[in-house]
Amino acid sequence: MNYPIWEIPMLGGGMLIALVAIVHVFVSHFAIGGGFYLVLTERTARKTSNQALLDFAKAHSRFFILLVLVFGAVTGVGIWWTIALVNPTATSTLIHVFVWVWAIEWVFFIVELMAAVLYYYGWDRMDARTHMTIGWIYAVAAWCSLVLINGILTFMLTPGRWVETQSVLHGFFNPTMLPSMFLRTAVCVALAGLYALISGSLVKDQEAKGHIVKYSAKWVMAGVAVLPIFGFWYISQLPPMAREISMGGAPAVTLFATGSVIFSLLVVGGAFIGPYLFPKHVHVTYAFGLAVIGLLATGSTEWVREAVRKPFIIYDYMYSNTIRVSDFNDLSMTGLLAKARWEVPSAEERKSPVKLGRRVFRAQCMSCHTVNGFNGVRYLVKGWDREFLDHQILYLNKLKGYMPPFIGTDEERAGLVEYLLSLNDDSRAGSTVSEGGQ
Amino acid sequence: MPGLPLPDPAGLPAPIWLLKFLSVFTLTLHLLAMNLLVGGTILMAISLHRGKTDPVSQRLFERLARGLPVTMSLTITLGVAPLLFVQLIYGQAFYTSSVLMAWPWLMVIPLVMLAYYGLYACQFRPAWLGKYLHAIAWLSALLILVVGFLFSNNWTLMLAPRTWHALYNAGISGLHLNAGDSSLIPRYLHFMIGGLAVAGLGVLLLGRAVRKEDAEMAERMEQIGRRWFLMATGIQVIVGFWFLFALPQMVRRFFIGGNMVDSGVLAAGILLAFVAMAIVRRAPGVAALLTGSTVFLMVVARHRLRQILLTPALKINEQVVHPQWALLVLFVVLLLAGLAVVAWMVFAFVRAGRVRPDAPQGG
Repeated sequence: MNYPIWEIPMLGGGMLIALVAIVHVFVSHFAIGGGFYLVLTERTARKTSNQALLDFAKAHSRFFILLVLVFGAVTGVGIWWTIALVNPTATSTLIHVFVWVWAIEWVFFIVELMAAVLYYYGWDRMDARTHMTIGWIYAVAAWCSLVLINGILTFMLTPGRWVETQSVLHGFFNPTMLPSMFLRTAVCVALAGLYALISGSLVKDQEAKGHIVKYSAKWVMAGVAVLPIFGFWYISQLPPMAREISMGGAPAVTLFATGSVIFSLLVVGGAFIGPYLFPKHVHVTYAFGLAVIGLLATGSTEWVREAVRKPFIIYDYMYSNTIRVSDFNDLSMTGLLAKARWEVPSAEERKSPVKLGRRVFRAQCMSCHTVNGFNGVRYLVKGWDREFLDHQILYLNKLKGYMPPFIGTDEERAGLVEYLLSLNDDSRAGSTVSEGGQ
Repeated sequence: MPGLPLPDPAGLPAPIWLLKFLSVFTLTLHLLAMNLLVGGTILMAISLHRGKTDPVSQRLFERLARGLPVTMSLTITLGVAPLLFVQLIYGQAFYTSSVLMAWPWLMVIPLVMLAYYGLYACQFRPAWLGKYLHAIAWLSALLILVVGFLFSNNWTLMLAPRTWHALYNAGISGLHLNAGDSSLIPRYLHFMIGGLAVAGLGVLLLGRAVRKEDAEMAERMEQIGRRWFLMATGIQVIVGFWFLFALPQMVRRFFIGGNMVDSGVLAAGILLAFVAMAIVRRAPGVAALLTGSTVFLMVVARHRLRQILLTPALKINEQVVHPQWALLVLFVVLLLAGLAVVAWMVFAFVRAGRVRPDAPQGG
């Protein structure tokens, strides 16, 4: 509405965000758990004068900085880049409401980065005590940045009293903030173990390998074991509709939710059967395979978390299509296009319902829908006639709970119906292959 | 102009002058790091090339390769804050121009990542890369230059609200650049050549720092650094004027006498650069300080340019303010504490001696 739309062929914006976010989450949670893992491993190695373990920690720390400082940090900025492109209005809200929280997070980011670099370069340079202190500083700073981002992220699903008070503290300390913080911390622990299994399985010294792999498996199992406790707490705090969506209300979401549980069980089972029981025999491909399942578990969980927020992008405040709930009445009176800053129909477009409808589609639907790709409307409306389409759009939010209500005048609705019908009409399909190409 | 985005109804969380100050201040830090990165990577690739026949250049390559990944980290980290403030104050312009050039803008992320891994490869695995080392070093430099070009595109497109609707109506696939803008190329060159000047100065100072350890190398570094600094700053003055005259006349007016403050800031920046050039041989430390001040003054001039171009169209200064004082204070306190922790860590690291940690693993 306020900002131009970016048409992303095939994927659509939501899927693009998901792709960037899932890989980032998988690395960034490791960045946090891995910090604790490294410094605790170093402590054990020094206490027991175990040189092999110390060598492992050192080697693992190089893998760690190459993954965390480069991939983790850059994809983190990448998510910010992506959400700002796909959903500038919501991003702007998050920045405006939480700017000082972001700024504080930036302070921890600086500390975290410097600590990671100095920890790595300081292995043979600093005394053990100072080196480990820097390791602890890294781990704590990284965890603090998780706490801060978690507050903002959970705000989107459960803004709590913020919707009435607009108080940033109400927004930050929202109903799911704490359970999600514990959940994510547990995931960090599990991922630290999962990554260490890869490094550990490559250790040449059999004794050391056995010790490291088994120790890492315990991290995985401990992390996953507590997930159900915090998971139930988290779910209990969700808005009722979000719970319904994940438990059968929308089949795709339920499928992913089930996937998340199954993948998590596979990870914990896989960590027990291989690395825990037979640590010396774990091959790197096995460890890598477990990490891939871990990625699937993280990915499906994050996907569900995003999906259950529908029909909102910020619950009770802004719909998925970036229209604010408070603007609903106003827009219904004036019409959508009167307020859409980028979809200004020309005189010619005003005369053609299909072209007018295409403007409405861009302004109101394209945040979630593509034309031909993922969540493509062409397939969703296949076989629908005019009367059925109009009925669907008129009662959109009632018929499909995960969609926002249609907002606009009767003329705009009629236009949207005609536009969608034109997609449905095979004889005219050639002219509407690409939304942006017209 | 019809249909430009409205300011966010959430309002600003602090008075706008304070946000603008933070934006200018943090951007200066980011640009200094960015300059070291851009110029440093180019100098690294050149040193590597010369290192084929000259062992001192080879050692210079190794020294630069050791410092550049951290410089990249600093550039990214220090870039986060100004990007935060730009979205806060000028979101209406920033989000719009970014969406119009969405694909090229998004490409910044993979390009930075590739360049970053390239730099780490040059540091950690020069022997293993063998004959590809040269290609990787140059590729990293090229990628960083491309990223700079994309930034220049977005930062100039953002200043041109009159062009937005036409671009949007021409296509919504996010494939636009701002190639039609006559200030794009000089502005881009101005930023990149500044990188060579600042990095030259960095090499010069680094040379002085290693005088005791390695006199031969120190002398060469001082010589190379000084030469690059003088050459790049000299070219910079010419490109700077090109940039100035590529701006629309009504904008240029402000900087050439039309507004005393704007003209004073620009003139002072140029003057300090000349003084820095004159004294760099005798007092490189002071020259560095003056160059840092020039960068700051140029960031102020850049900020003023943005004000002139955006304020009337987007009513930037009329945004509502809902101050969050307590959080602002908390931020400042934590920032000071964070910087103290960083200072302690760096101190501990330096104090711990000068043994190269990764020499045995450097491969």
